[in-house]
Amino acid sequence: MSAQPATRTKVQLPHWLHGSVQTGFLLVLTLIVLAPLLIMFVATFQDGNDVIRRGLSLDIDRSSLSLDNYVMLFTDSGPYFRWFANSILLTVVQVAGTLLVSSFVAYGFAVYEFKGKTALFIAVLLLMAVPFEIMMLPLYVLVNDVGLADSYSVIVLPFLAAAVTIFYFRQYFLGIPKDLLEAGRMDGATEFGIFFKIVVPVAKPAFAAMAILNGMIIWNNFLWPLLVLRSESKFTLPIGLNTLLTPHENNYELLIIGSLFSLLPVLVLFLLFQRFFVAGMTAGALKG
Amino acid sequence: MTTRRRITSLLAAGLAATLMLSACGGSEEEGGPDAEGRTSIDMWVFAELHGTYYEAMAEAWNEKNPDKEIKLDVTVFPYDEMHNKLQLAVNSGKGLPDVVDIEVNKFSNFVTEDGRTPLADLSEAAEPYQEDIVQARMDLYAREGKQLGFPTHVGAQVAFYNIPLLEKAGVDYTTIKTWDDFKAAGAKYNKATGKAFGVASTDTNITQPLVMAQLGGDLFDEDGNVTVNSPEVVEAIELLQDMQKAGALSTIPGGSPDIEEAYGPINNGDYAAIVYPAWYTSRFVDYMPDLAGDIAIAPAPVIEGGEVATVGGGGTGTAVIDSSPDKEFAAEWLAFAKLSPEANVAVWEELGFDPVNMSVWEDKDVTHNPENKFNKYFRTNLFDVLNEVKGDIGHFESFENPNLPKVDEVFTTSTYNQIFGDGVPAKQALDQAQADLENQLK
Amino acid sequence: MVVLRRLLYSQKAAPYLFIAPFVITLLAFWLLPLARTFLLSTQEVVFGQAAFIGFDNYQRLWEDRLFWKAMFNSARYMVLTIALLIPVPLVLAALINSKIGSERVKAVFKASMFVPALTSVVVAGIIFRLMFAETGTGLMNQIVGIFGLEPVRWLRIDTGGLIALLALAMWRWTGVNILYFLAGMQSIPEEYYEAATIDGASRLQQFFHITLPNLKPTIVYVTTISIYGGLAMFLESFMLYRGNSSPNDQGLTVIGYLYRRGIEQNDLGFASAVGVVLVVVIMTINLTFLTLSGTFKKESAQ
Repeated sequence: MSAQPATRTKVQLPHWLHGSVQTGFLLVLTLIVLAPLLIMFVATFQDGNDVIRRGLSLDIDRSSLSLDNYVMLFTDSGPYFRWFANSILLTVVQVAGTLLVSSFVAYGFAVYEFKGKTALFIAVLLLMAVPFEIMMLPLYVLVNDVGLADSYSVIVLPFLAAAVTIFYFRQYFLGIPKDLLEAGRMDGATEFGIFFKIVVPVAKPAFAAMAILNGMIIWNNFLWPLLVLRSESKFTLPIGLNTLLTPHENNYELLIIGSLFSLLPVLVLFLLFQRFFVAGMTAGALKG
Repeated sequence: MTTRRRITSLLAAGLAATLMLSACGGSEEEGGPDAEGRTSIDMWVFAELHGTYYEAMAEAWNEKNPDKEIKLDVTVFPYDEMHNKLQLAVNSGKGLPDVVDIEVNKFSNFVTEDGRTPLADLSEAAEPYQEDIVQARMDLYAREGKQLGFPTHVGAQVAFYNIPLLEKAGVDYTTIKTWDDFKAAGAKYNKATGKAFGVASTDTNITQPLVMAQLGGDLFDEDGNVTVNSPEVVEAIELLQDMQKAGALSTIPGGSPDIEEAYGPINNGDYAAIVYPAWYTSRFVDYMPDLAGDIAIAPAPVIEGGEVATVGGGGTGTAVIDSSPDKEFAAEWLAFAKLSPEANVAVWEELGFDPVNMSVWEDKDVTHNPENKFNKYFRTNLFDVLNEVKGDIGHFESFENPNLPKVDEVFTTSTYNQIFGDGVPAKQALDQAQADLENQLK
Repeated sequence: MVVLRRLLYSQKAAPYLFIAPFVITLLAFWLLPLARTFLLSTQEVVFGQAAFIGFDNYQRLWEDRLFWKAMFNSARYMVLTIALLIPVPLVLAALINSKIGSERVKAVFKASMFVPALTSVVVAGIIFRLMFAETGTGLMNQIVGIFGLEPVRWLRIDTGGLIALLALAMWRWTGVNILYFLAGMQSIPEEYYEAATIDGASRLQQFFHITLPNLKPTIVYVTTISIYGGLAMFLESFMLYRGNSSPNDQGLTVIGYLYRRGIEQNDLGFASAVGVVLVVVIMTINLTFLTLSGTFKKESAQ
């Protein structure tokens, strides 16, 4: 690559000034990006109906601010914490299941040669580009026909072998030296033994990244559970919060404070494991 | 090695267990009373307050009928989700409740043109109360001679006027009889104050059918085909659009008076006249406390020489699912909970709706009770207004058509927004609605 | 037991056991529903009774104004999100990657940009709906007011709703895309830039002649997921408009239309036809794009 010689005199800002202009710019952007959450946070101290009527606003009557909503959240929020517990349970179970099954499949693709491998792997690639929303209609009908509506298993099962996760693990496993696996075979391990004893420990970072990616997706999963779940006691957080959007005799306070509160576990985990979040959420860009 | 294998087999067993568990989940309940003589009834509703009301009615029933108590289990869903779930459950015949609240605009989704329906005929259960009930409201949920649902309220359309605001602008609401009067008063008010008078709803189809019915129009022809651009319908909408041009109607935040975003502006006095069903009393009392003592209820404006004075607006038909093992019991309880005089007193006192059992309308102790929170709030008495229009409450035929839900969807998302929001001429927008609907229904 | 043991040690059988869950998923949850979608799209279903009607649903679809409106809305959203969510994060990533400025501020910026991605569409939708309230007191109208303009009826007008949708997309995805691009930039060898500097190339020239060409795989990837995400968008609109109905259907997307006809109006046949068309469209665009950008070649070369 040959760069064009500079043809005009460049106006060079002093280095320190250039730096602080950039820093200032980034700080302003940071503020803008965080503003919606900050204003929503302020709204948790306000009357819910008022917020719905007036919108999120900078024009706040300071005398109306109170901790009432927080008291309500912890003493009188109906099924809110039930939903919270459901979400946590479902996320943990589904993440564990997805990691296990998907890494299993990925290992199959990464280390073995078998008939139909190319075709099946192309299927993985294609599935990464088919929106689930298209499947939801026939699946929904199917689920109802077999009487499985309102059960967690139909939320979990279709996504255990997840295309993106399989793809990521496969890329990771491809990087594991074959000698390591051969050594395992010499020691008399079964193919599954090799996977659990040798491959899994080596691939810990990949598991962490995929746990985060899937955890995020599942924690926020909405459409499919919305269709499948029937009983309020089984609702997850997003489904439950959505029910609070209904007009009349609603609980807009809970909608607002509950929405913000639902971010908390994710935020805490993010602050603790930022590195894995970044690796997980950007997993798709792993070089092929 | 062995521990590893154990982990694997545990996981496999776990997966298998999940599958088994889920397979067993779908067992259908058996009918009849339980060991304590109580019959379990599952009910779906889409408004929390309705749920509370039914629970109170279950208690009242149990007091009167200790020999056949009800064990009512109410689930509240958001509006859309409840109707969607019901539709799918009806298709597959699985996971259905025993009793369900169906909103009037969705009701026709549950009866085909030739009368096929998953809902039970409630005629027999209605018998004891029949003669006191506003017939037009029963007709709303009757198809092919079968009573498929019970109404919740009459929802007779009336007018709510903000007296202090009107007085300031020199408008006397008692002189408003016809839509022409309304238009003149609105124009005068708008000129004097620069503020909006009435509401042109873009997101609900409630006031528009009132005018259509007054003009004798219908959204469908005799064979049930869509004719949303028929001369009467066009005339009705043009009448409303002219009022908007004259300043007597304006659009409102949220798209209709019955949305949270609209309560604020009405409460602030940004709108002075709301023509809406009688049940809107409850919205005033619950959400617009600042207007207590300011609002007068009056008959809705009419068309001179028109067909009817008013029609019901909105509504919820409560139905019993035909395949429910307890359908007779459910129907009997439901008739009590919705049609009996005691239930209808509660409908007024708790919910502020105009009850369908007219024996209540005559009971001055109930209707003019000075301690009643609705009577305290309004300057005039709702029942005086209702009794005034009593013989002239019409029935809008279109509500029975199985294709009403689709018409309603097109009107409230596109047509009314084009007409009242973007100023598209009524005829043009209705022609387009007609074309869209014809294609949808092909 | 012997058979099992042989199976466990067999390198021939093992791969099939490993990939079995995928094959089952593929059959049960993808191919079967897909086939069912196709079958349904040729039927009319009333209260569970299906009747074959050939390609009538497709013909109705072709003549349906709302279907084309939904298509247009989805396509417009896809194109605009790509037009915004590639250049903007790219420039921001370049800023972070530059050697000037405070490293600490950059770290805070990077982390903050990522926070919206942690927010579910449900919560983000609720927040943005309230920010774009049509009353004069809403945040966006207050900002508009600073410039002396009248309050905008954001979600009730087409452009206003589009701006809200794009703002929501920008808010949630800019941070993630920055990280994609940063990862790409950091893998470009430093020597390239050093050589260019010696040749006297300006920063801008370096960006266009070194950074961009080397980022091609990342850009291809981000574009691919944006095509998919854009055409399949539904939930953002669903939350922003508090349901699937919006004024003049300005927020109606293809998936939204599928949802309306299939789940809200119970017209399973017609909705399935919408689904089939969408699969074909997305597959065609993606395959074309991936072929043109040479991704397949690389995959099979492995």
